[in-house]
Amino acid sequence: MNATFVLLELRRVLRDYVSMFFIAVLPGFFYVIFGAATSFSGEGAGNGNVAMYVMISMAAYGAVTATTGIGGMAAVERMQGWGRQLGLTPLRDGSYVAMKAAVALMIATIPVTLIYVLGLLTKAEGTATAWALSALLVLVGAGVFAIYGLAVGLAFRSEAAVSAASGLLVIMAFLGNIFIPLSGTLLTIAKFTPLYGYVALARYPLTEGVQPDGSHEPLWIAVVNVTVWAAIFGVAATVLVRRGRERQ
Amino acid sequence: METTTPTAALTLDGLAKTFRTRTDGHVHAVRGVDLEIRPGEVVALLGPNGAGKTTALDMVLGLTTPTEGRVTIFGRPPRSAVAAGRISAVLQSGGLLRDLSVRETVQMVASVFEAPRPVEEVLDRAGLTRLGARKVAKCSGGEQQRLRFALALLPDPDLLVLDEPTAGMDVSARRDFWDTMQSDADAGRTVVFATHYLEEADSFAQRIVLMAGGRIVADGSTAEIRARASGRTVSADVPAVGQEAMADRLRRLPGVVEVMRQGSRFIVRSSDSDAVARTLLVDLGGTNVEIVTGSLESAFLAITGELEESVA
Repeated sequence: MNATFVLLELRRVLRDYVSMFFIAVLPGFFYVIFGAATSFSGEGAGNGNVAMYVMISMAAYGAVTATTGIGGMAAVERMQGWGRQLGLTPLRDGSYVAMKAAVALMIATIPVTLIYVLGLLTKAEGTATAWALSALLVLVGAGVFAIYGLAVGLAFRSEAAVSAASGLLVIMAFLGNIFIPLSGTLLTIAKFTPLYGYVALARYPLTEGVQPDGSHEPLWIAVVNVTVWAAIFGVAATVLVRRGRERQ
Repeated sequence: METTTPTAALTLDGLAKTFRTRTDGHVHAVRGVDLEIRPGEVVALLGPNGAGKTTALDMVLGLTTPTEGRVTIFGRPPRSAVAAGRISAVLQSGGLLRDLSVRETVQMVASVFEAPRPVEEVLDRAGLTRLGARKVAKCSGGEQQRLRFALALLPDPDLLVLDEPTAGMDVSARRDFWDTMQSDADAGRTVVFATHYLEEADSFAQRIVLMAGGRIVADGSTAEIRARASGRTVSADVPAVGQEAMADRLRRLPGVVEVMRQGSRFIVRSSDSDAVARTLLVDLGGTNVEIVTGSLESAFLAITGELEESVA
């Protein structure tokens, strides 16, 4: 780990105002609109209230937008020749990945912090454990989507593809029960989509499995969803890295 | 490891690389290259596109693994020489982050070396001090190339590899780049550069290694390579009648390689230009005789042409 390298990488991302808007400002705005400003925001939900439920959802959305973008750009940069440049230095692949992961995690902290502060300032309420544990789960789980971004970057090798992958997150977020509570068939389908398990897990310290419609969902559904999707993204990225090597 | 004989800067030992492709099976990019470069030499690796220069240099830098053979840099394998900062390179293209500034790029790469040269020093040596704050995206091709050069100077390498460093630069940017390089090479660094500009090889290198079809086809000083062009070219206007007989007679002269006709003018390539000139003037009634020394360009064409013939 190398402080100068990480700091310069952080500065690069922070300077990209368009990305930062989608990573931090937009989810924050969504929280205010769909959470704090609604009439039912003060209603109870598990170990807290509805505002907190929406707060965790939006923080999760911001965090995956950050990690997907950083993972994807890491892949594209390396294939556009930066990898060759780094190949002329003592830097090992493992250290590079570790530093990029650190950067992704730090950037993901920005929307989480911003939205949790907004939550504190508005109506979000919950137990201390629910606040702390949900923030931690949002951050750690977002790492899975760094691998998703990486796989897309490796597969399509262009900045446009990485933007598309981030855009696709909006659809995944709808299907993942992040923006609006789903019901019926749509909810059944939702349980198989990538963001569903992640956000359900992050909300678990608050909801303990209790759904907006009052039904109870066991924890294993969220855990299996996250595990399976992490495995799918991981295998895809590994296969694509190997394919990229053979082509050289 | 100290020995009595000085260690070679670079040794290639039966180096070969074969690529598998989807369309035509195997491509032999490099087919058995042996080469030794001594410390302090400035060597041009010259050859047409597809000669195997970039593939050979990639293997030297450890970016590609050889199919056969071995690369040794100051007695070490490539990856270890790179990690120790003994070898560094300016690559042909790509390889920069567009949203970093020039100085930030140098700082970032410097941070991964154990004991790099100071950032301001390499910026100065690459002539980039004034451009430090400029975004890479806003730098011209020549400026980006100088930035790659600055990055290559960071480990203070003993062997510097340049892969077509001036590709895509205009004439003045190319001259600026070589001026910068020249002062660096004068300081005693070993430099190996690939190029397909003959003038660059001629004016900057002491030794030329000519590659074609994945092999080394000539290796020597610039003067030696030039001498391999088949001597000189003699041309003269000749009378319009009996040209066939004249051409036959010229072809029979010792040392004549080629006789060409352009209208009433004969162009003869020969290692014995005096004999050709005498015959043209005295026996064939030739006028406007001109004798031209072989250029590096014609040497290049002659040698690579011979190779193609021998392959075909």
